[in-house]
Amino acid sequence: MHGSDLRFQVENLTRVEGEGSLHLLIRDGAVEEARLQIFEAPRYFEALVAGRTPDEVLDIVARICGICPVAYQMSAVHAFEDLFGVEVEPPTHALRRLLYCAEWIESHALHVYLLHAPDFLGYASAVELARDHRDLVADGLRLKKAGNHLLSVLGGRPIHPVSVRVGGWSRAPRRAELLALRPELEEALRLAKATVEVALSLVPPAFEREPRLVALHDPHEYPMNRGHIVSSDGLALPPQAWGEAFHEVQVPWSNALQSRGNDGLPYLLGPAARIVLDHDQLHPLAAEALHASGALESIRRNPYRSIVARAIELVHATAEALDIIEAYVEPDAPAVPWTARPGTAAWATEAPRGLLFHRYEIGEDGLVAASTIIPPTSQNQAAIEADIATFAPRVLDLPMDAATHALEQLIRSYDPCISCATHFLDLTIEPTVPA
Amino acid sequence: MNAPIFAVRLLVCGNADRGDDGAALAAVAHLLPRIEDSIRHRIDVRRCAQLDATDLIDVPSHQVCVVVDTVVGIEPGTIVTLPLAELAAADSPVAPRSSHALPIGQVIGIAAAIRGQLPDGVFVGIGGRRFGFGNRRSRAITGGMRAFERAIEGEVRRFASAALVAGPGGHPGV
Repeated sequence: MHGSDLRFQVENLTRVEGEGSLHLLIRDGAVEEARLQIFEAPRYFEALVAGRTPDEVLDIVARICGICPVAYQMSAVHAFEDLFGVEVEPPTHALRRLLYCAEWIESHALHVYLLHAPDFLGYASAVELARDHRDLVADGLRLKKAGNHLLSVLGGRPIHPVSVRVGGWSRAPRRAELLALRPELEEALRLAKATVEVALSLVPPAFEREPRLVALHDPHEYPMNRGHIVSSDGLALPPQAWGEAFHEVQVPWSNALQSRGNDGLPYLLGPAARIVLDHDQLHPLAAEALHASGALESIRRNPYRSIVARAIELVHATAEALDIIEAYVEPDAPAVPWTARPGTAAWATEAPRGLLFHRYEIGEDGLVAASTIIPPTSQNQAAIEADIATFAPRVLDLPMDAATHALEQLIRSYDPCISCATHFLDLTIEPTVPA
Repeated sequence: MNAPIFAVRLLVCGNADRGDDGAALAAVAHLLPRIEDSIRHRIDVRRCAQLDATDLIDVPSHQVCVVVDTVVGIEPGTIVTLPLAELAAADSPVAPRSSHALPIGQVIGIAAAIRGQLPDGVFVGIGGRRFGFGNRRSRAITGGMRAFERAIEGEVRRFASAALVAGPGGHPGV
């Protein structure tokens, strides 16, 4: 394989959400093309919300993803409330963070234990991992279930929640309902702390680079629902202003639009970006776990260490969920009144996989006239391709299976949700005739 | 008042707002009221929009599990009944729709590995055609609903009745 021209094609990327493939063209030992091909069919959600009321939009966009529906609801509801001048009560803000904690717990637990851990431990899937490490996978499932349970109580269902409304909630939970979750979340916090130890014990491949990281930043809280868009190279924008620094581009090999900075360069979102840019706002228990790990710098430089970042965020989300429940006071009314007004509604929040930006044009009739939804996986595509191009030459001497596995593992470290970005990933490696 | 002794755990998968994906919910909602109390009180109905490994792991050892869902891979509107273990077979043409996070083979495999073995039980599915958000149920599914209900009812009656004969905690296996 070494020294000649090669074409790598991974035809079905496994253990990612959705469907995609990887195409690599190697010429004289250098990567000439690295294409993350997303061929899942476009899903037209932006067209589906046209002509709908803001509250209808919240229920529709939640259907974009079964793993991160809350993120879609949160970016949309904050965009509408910002345009309509709606000020929600503090308990509503706390409950929305609690809902986001639930989603981070179920999504991160799924990725750490069932999608990514098998790579590090040499198993083809979580099934084989579960046969040899039953307690490990059972712990992951319990953690995930705690997130799903919390999501059910707040959102009415374990997936595609239906309770978020402009101005608040369709129904605010009773304090007793939330207090009943405490034992399960206390156990989840214990499991989350153990997850950090597990993640730290997994030896990452030696691969370092200097990514441009982008996340929300709020001086008072770890970023979920609010904050400015900041970057590792000094960017600071309000959450409505994504378009001032970034833009979408269409590439012929992907059904998902890619995003780049206005300088044309890629950037990376997600747990690693948040940990690096926002570690001062972590819950004290998560901050303690991060400090004890000594892993901050490796999280920034080595993409495989994203599993540690997710584990730290599991501690954050479970600890904060317990704090919110403890302090929860039922609001006087589940929602405050509001009136739609025409204009542009835009906002960004932090999905489990990174910053999710929504923009809606609201007409004089109070209905959505047009929309743009920019999911984190779409934004990460260019950064993933850049990292693959940098990493691939290191695996050219490996047997085909090992090279394919190494590349897939790298892609999985970004936890791509291809279903959100449009669904799919698939690698083939075949020699080509030298140019 | 004594807690009911359930003999059958009925896991109802799918989403009502995704066209044919809601067939299992509709079928169970329609058939339960016509089942006599002595049988119905032995059925523990659980809704699981997406079948998760923990849904299977949590089935008590004395209960039989019946999973119902819409499937792809068979003619829309036709009914399939399989032992649970066969769902995980690589060559199975039947793929339940309601497992988003992990493929169904992984869900079954993980549950079997952690639980030691899968619960005894069966899967009852109906072939679907339309799964888009907001879609109505397809004509094929609508035409197959009575047969789907009969198939589900037949399985839950079989297991619940057998448990009645066997006594508390007993079930006949599959």
